[in-house]
Amino acid sequence: MTSNEKLRRFEEQISPHLKSAYNLARWLTRSHEDAEDIVQEAFLRAFSAFESFRGEDAKPWLLTIVRNTSMTWLKRNRNAGATIGFEEALEDPIERSPDPEEGLLISCDREQVRQALEQLPSDFRQAVILREMEDLSYKEISATTGVPIGTVMSRLSRGRDWLRRILATPHPVKREGGAGLR
Amino acid sequence: MNCDDSRIYLPAYLDDELDIAESLRIQKHLTECRDCRQAQDEQLALRSALRDPDLYAYPSADFSKRIEAAVRQAAKEEARSQRSSWLESLRLGSFRWFPAAAALVIVATIGVLLVINSVRSSHEQVIASAVLAGHIRSLQPGHLIDVPSSDRHTVKPWFQGKLDFSPPVPDLSELGWTLVGGRLDYVDKQPVAVLVYQRRMHNINVFLWPNHGSADDTIREEDAQGYQILHWNGAETTYWVVSDLNNAELLEFARALRGH
Repeated sequence: MTSNEKLRRFEEQISPHLKSAYNLARWLTRSHEDAEDIVQEAFLRAFSAFESFRGEDAKPWLLTIVRNTSMTWLKRNRNAGATIGFEEALEDPIERSPDPEEGLLISCDREQVRQALEQLPSDFRQAVILREMEDLSYKEISATTGVPIGTVMSRLSRGRDWLRRILATPHPVKREGGAGLR
Repeated sequence: MNCDDSRIYLPAYLDDELDIAESLRIQKHLTECRDCRQAQDEQLALRSALRDPDLYAYPSADFSKRIEAAVRQAAKEEARSQRSSWLESLRLGSFRWFPAAAALVIVATIGVLLVINSVRSSHEQVIASAVLAGHIRSLQPGHLIDVPSSDRHTVKPWFQGKLDFSPPVPDLSELGWTLVGGRLDYVDKQPVAVLVYQRRMHNINVFLWPNHGSADDTIREEDAQGYQILHWNGAETTYWVVSDLNNAELLEFARALRGH
């Protein structure tokens, strides 16, 4: 592959995913400046490793590099508890166990959702972002984050539970008349 | 399908990860069960809150241009460094004898390097083939690990009493390298520790033993039958890393391990 050919193929296959790369880095670091630096570093790494790209799906391939670059970055500039990443770190947000007589209404307030997502510990946040915003399959998330599919499923399920609970506002559900949640 | 099963399968159903038969079973249950339908509604409500387009972080147009320029610059530099620079340097010689003298120096240098290399590498070749044999053996069913654990605090003590040194067992999971266990092997007439890491479905065997010689942590590569072998001599420990992973990623792994 000549240099020109390599650049052409890179721009055709990888560059269109810049948006996803930035979104992931932005959500992982919670900082605009860090996200830009990480994406730049990740793109240069992706370019030099492009020979090893075997024409599989380009988005997860690039996001793997972005994710690893972000993790190294966060480790190097460990600040503001940015790397809480252990399964144990996910504790119940509030003692508000769902009462069977109550339904849980998810808050649709965008700022509240943003804050909740930013507070979600890193491993869980990665899985949720990759699934909900980047629409990656379990298998692709597993490849991107380097953990088995079972772990992906458990992180998604625990992460979503946690978000549901933190965003929930209890409200009574009438047993009769079917006026529950839509 | 009962409610317990339905709750387990519901997220995978909504994520479109179930096969048709399972999807039909859960759909049937959902039409019959009000509580599970409510659970579904809650999950869908969370999903639509998370998929709010305004939560998505978009890069600025300026930034996109900056990245495009940085990649093109990298491509240019790569093309430049690929042109063989020694030919150009010969062309610079203004004396007629210069090319001949330069060629003579090069030939002599290569000769000396070859001799040094063959002495050095004959020993390294022996280790490389032992390490490769160990890697291939480890891929046979049941041979990969003696102590299966992703917890370095389980793997490290396991080696105690089995070896006369205590191997470092770094946790590289944050960088995307999962520790899956360890085992003993035998290389260069001594028992050695082997750590096994994984990325995707690729196994990486790390052979390590105490370095009694001089330290040189330049990562060197050996090719062998399609496997990648990297090695270096740390201050205390000699590392040999073998995998069928691609060269770039294995280098990344070796650097992460060396940096620990």
